[in-house]
Amino acid sequence: METIINDYISRELVQDAALLPLSDDTSLLDSGILDSLSLLQLVVFLEERFGITVGDTDLLPQNFASVQTICAYLRAREPVAHG
Amino acid sequence: MAYVLQGLLAQAAARHPDRQAVSSQGCLLTYAELDQLSNKVARALLRLGVAPGDRVGILAPKSAASVVAVYGALKARACYVPLDPKAPADRIGYVAKDSGINVVIADDDRTPQVNDLAERVPGLRRLLVAASPAASLALAAESGEPLGAERAVETDLAYMLYTSGSTGTPKGVMISHRNSLTFVDWAAGAAGLSMDDRVCSPAPLHFDLSVFDVFSTCEAGACLTVMPEGTATFPVSIAQWLENERVSVWYSVPSVLTLLACFGGLSQSDLSRLRTVIFAGEVFPPKYLAKLMAELPAARYLNWYGPTETNVVTAFEVAWGDADLGPVPIGIACANTEVFAVTDEINSVRQPGDEGELYVRGPALMQGYWGHPDQTKQVLVPNPLAPERDELVYRTGDLVTVDAAGNYVYLGRRDAMVKVRGYRVELGEVEAALYRHPGIGEAAVFAVPDELLGSRLHAVVSATGTTSLTRDDVLSHCRRWLPSYMVPEVIEFRAALPRTSTGKVDRVGLAAQGPDDTGERKLADTH
Repeated sequence: METIINDYISRELVQDAALLPLSDDTSLLDSGILDSLSLLQLVVFLEERFGITVGDTDLLPQNFASVQTICAYLRAREPVAHG
Repeated sequence: MAYVLQGLLAQAAARHPDRQAVSSQGCLLTYAELDQLSNKVARALLRLGVAPGDRVGILAPKSAASVVAVYGALKARACYVPLDPKAPADRIGYVAKDSGINVVIADDDRTPQVNDLAERVPGLRRLLVAASPAASLALAAESGEPLGAERAVETDLAYMLYTSGSTGTPKGVMISHRNSLTFVDWAAGAAGLSMDDRVCSPAPLHFDLSVFDVFSTCEAGACLTVMPEGTATFPVSIAQWLENERVSVWYSVPSVLTLLACFGGLSQSDLSRLRTVIFAGEVFPPKYLAKLMAELPAARYLNWYGPTETNVVTAFEVAWGDADLGPVPIGIACANTEVFAVTDEINSVRQPGDEGELYVRGPALMQGYWGHPDQTKQVLVPNPLAPERDELVYRTGDLVTVDAAGNYVYLGRRDAMVKVRGYRVELGEVEAALYRHPGIGEAAVFAVPDELLGSRLHAVVSATGTTSLTRDDVLSHCRRWLPSYMVPEVIEFRAALPRTSTGKVDRVGLAAQGPDDTGERKLADTH
């Protein structure tokens, strides 16, 4: 799961090549990778890829701080389709 | 009545010195403190050699420190030039050199960025202000006492705001105190500001929406609340912050409000204190405006319109049900201002069905573009309906009609200027940046309409010779020159660009073909 999400963020959302390769604990907020629009793009990806719905109230800094916290958030809301 | 902007602060500090003036991430300033700290900044600037009329850069996000810097610069009789801390270093350097600043005020955790700027601007002097301005080392020795009788006059320049330029470089819009106060004074009344209000605009200082919360708030003796950077990333966080800060008046571009309406979890926040919501900068998609009004039914909703060159010149108060009928009108002219629209046949736009370009007259009109009298003459023009009059009017480039009630209704642009997140983007400036890449032979940029962003930029480029050119090459090149909202989302490669019969790149034809994925948020990768 970490790899899938890291790959997606690295490919689609990272604007500054100096941030690559992206580590799973890099802050997506302090680094400026996530803003209001790239966050929504990421949520659409997560919803499609893992067959889930992310509620408005789950759109919180603590859930989207890094690749690690995104995975922790997704795991906490099992079951998740990994296909 | 104040006739220069810093006079608003003098009044507020005299009338209610102990009321809260600024609340920014735990830093609270009363009007007396804001007044004294800005006196210190003014003295420090004078010590650095700032003379009346000098431009002083401010390189900082909106904060207690930068509000102190703004008033300090004005008290030193300087013209402040906000520098976007998020812009690429090359662009910040361009604006600093073009405006001729020789002193920059920055927050003290921005030292590397300021040092970089100093390398680009020989002789640049620096004044560093701490996040809690009272703790600034550079201000410690300065007196906070008043500077003496006000010597500034209303025709002095107060600030310059840089906006996208069609010829390839940003241009500085020169705003005098009188220009600004025309808006500031009207806006405080139109929003019904009182000293009990807590006002927020998330717009940075280089965006003209900030004039409202920095100055109109002060006129009312209300409190300017600064939303921490990054809050807007999470719409739920915006709602929580608005509740915690007890914000009563909000002013932003529509896209932030769309996010708030759709993803803000508003039913779980108590925003009952938010009594006035103002938006400007682009068209608010009606269905999201209706959704927001349904979520927060007790608030007033105001649609304001005006380019940076005039600030807000028309206003419309949205009533229940208006947003169900389509885009809301931009309304009628503000106080002390006249707007009129002129058809291609040089007739006045008077009734529904007429279409024409909107013109503005009145004391809000800018003094011109800094260093560009030629470009100024293209927009500050004789009145086309009354050329015999000894006056200049501002030509907006915006096409409008009127509705049955006499409100102006925005239709679109005459030229290649588009809005992205409320920011003006001249497609020509993006193209000029692309052409700076030695591997790019031809480039055209067009805008694809987008509900959330206003528009998204799509670039079509062809490579010179045999050099291989990748999407990453082009994007990283753009990011060196352009702020993020001007960087094209889609880069499409073609062997050659389509031409019109006159040999120009066919931007209209390209836009009509459009990308296939206009509704998608994903980036098309076409190389």
